Amino acid sequence: MSSYDTVDQIVAARKAYNETLAQAADRTRVTWLPVLLLVILALFPLMQFVGNYNYPIHLVLYTLMYVTMASGWNILGGFTGYISLGHSVFFAVGGYFAGMILARYGVSTIIMAPVAGLVAGLLGYMIGLITLRVRGPSFIISSLALVMICRILFEKWQFVGGAAGLSLPINDLPVQWAKLPYYYAFLVMAAFGVWVAYRVKHSKFGLGLRAISKDEIKAESAGIDTRFYKVLAFAISAFMFGMAGAVWGEYLTYVRPNIFVHILYFSVWPALMCILGGKGTIAGPVVGAVLIVAFNEFFVATLGASAINILATGLIMALTLMFFPLGLIGTLARYRKLPRALNWD
Amino acid sequence: MLEVKGLSKHFGGIRAVDNCSFSAEKGRITALIGPNGAGKTTAFNCISRTMTPTAGEVWLDGERIDHLRPHRITAKGLSRTFQISRNLADMTVLENVICQSKISGWRDLFKPAMSPSEIDKAMAILDFLGITRIAHEDGSNLSYGQKKLMDLAALLMSDPKIILLDEPAGGVNPTLLEEIVGHIRALNDKGMTVLIVEHNMELIMRLSHRVVVMAQGTVIADGTPEEVQKNPAVLEAYLGGALEDAA
Repeated sequence: MSSYDTVDQIVAARKAYNETLAQAADRTRVTWLPVLLLVILALFPLMQFVGNYNYPIHLVLYTLMYVTMASGWNILGGFTGYISLGHSVFFAVGGYFAGMILARYGVSTIIMAPVAGLVAGLLGYMIGLITLRVRGPSFIISSLALVMICRILFEKWQFVGGAAGLSLPINDLPVQWAKLPYYYAFLVMAAFGVWVAYRVKHSKFGLGLRAISKDEIKAESAGIDTRFYKVLAFAISAFMFGMAGAVWGEYLTYVRPNIFVHILYFSVWPALMCILGGKGTIAGPVVGAVLIVAFNEFFVATLGASAINILATGLIMALTLMFFPLGLIGTLARYRKLPRALNWD
Repeated sequence: MLEVKGLSKHFGGIRAVDNCSFSAEKGRITALIGPNGAGKTTAFNCISRTMTPTAGEVWLDGERIDHLRPHRITAKGLSRTFQISRNLADMTVLENVICQSKISGWRDLFKPAMSPSEIDKAMAILDFLGITRIAHEDGSNLSYGQKKLMDLAALLMSDPKIILLDEPAGGVNPTLLEEIVGHIRALNDKGMTVLIVEHNMELIMRLSHRVVVMAQGTVIADGTPEEVQKNPAVLEAYLGGALEDAA
């Protein structure tokens, strides 16, 4: 039909067609919902004027922290396809770094959070250079090993308080407003986390990461520096965990190894949220975080704070993934049943 | 253009490629043939560095490339396809192709995944190969032959100086085979250097300017298709063996 020489003609003919395609993609994506959510959450603490909503504020704050972490985990676990169960290490590193600065120099962790994120990210970069040489089950085991090493390290390191941990000063705001600085910090971080995931997904970097998750040898021979891409993805996701850990430490008023290197809450949960909501989607980690925190809260309230509530949450997860193998958002998108409001890609 | 000197790849005691030397001249189609297990694909893998060679040198345009990592070799202008088409599932054909466009420096990383100019270029390549209608199809939904064409398209996206094709016509129907031959020839007419591994003898003899024959990991003959066809060593090691297999 046409040959390689007539590129100019083809280019002209395709241009119009491609513009309609780009418009179609823009039409299906929704930005009003995330923006609306952000506004509602920013105004939510005003409820304190009409009553005591400390506990709902705590729950929202807790969910926002998980949104930050799950969105960060998504960059490595969702886009790149490397399942890490060791990210609590970066949560702890961020928490300890900012906690030590707060305890010694009185600088708020909210200000130090980006720095704590960078420290965690740098550590992630270095660890990634070693552990990202293997993939699949070997990588998962290496991430678990990291948690073991880190936990022992923090328990034995007297400079940061050993097994007893660090006590951090309590802020002197009235109890009604005491949570708000942390609330807004987590709100900003969660929004930042979602925004970063979106930007990564739509960049050359994101395209490269997706290629790596499908076929690393092909990606490398396509001219993608797979090692650098993977390690950078690891560092970005570690950055998110480091930031979250920093603020969580001051919010709790202490930093302790058995809380911060907690594998279930800070390694497994973000991963589960991401998988439940849909790996590799933008809205997935957000939906997953909301659902898991909500389910857990519901089962703690109805079944009591025993192991049974964890079992119930797990059962819900298992059932959901039986019917939505790609996660809620991922499966719905695959079958073109995703409500437009939840298409944030 | 491409020069391979004393290339060896040993797997334990097995010498898959053993002190193998050949070259591919600029603007020509060079074929690498040989019976099953001759080490053709292994040689390919060593050239593109998908495997680390045990010994030997690979030179591209007067530059030694055997110590570079695969993505650097692609950036130098040597691109390859795989024997079993490796395509990226859950990504459209267009994304598969644009994935292979050149990236220079880390600033490029955060540019939009598919710029309009890249889309235009990719669509022009797909049009050249006659597969624009599958541009937005998922990579895993393609037929075997379409995957082969998509591989070829992705290859061209990186503006290579030399392309290495590992059995581009393997397992495709005769009509598509003719089409692929046409594409390779058209590319070559525009000055593309091609190194090709293929089992289809008739195709090789028709298409290539020069044939390198491998057996047991070493080069046993090197010349024009006519010369190689008359070479007794080739008839003995390759064609004779093939006839016995067929019988």
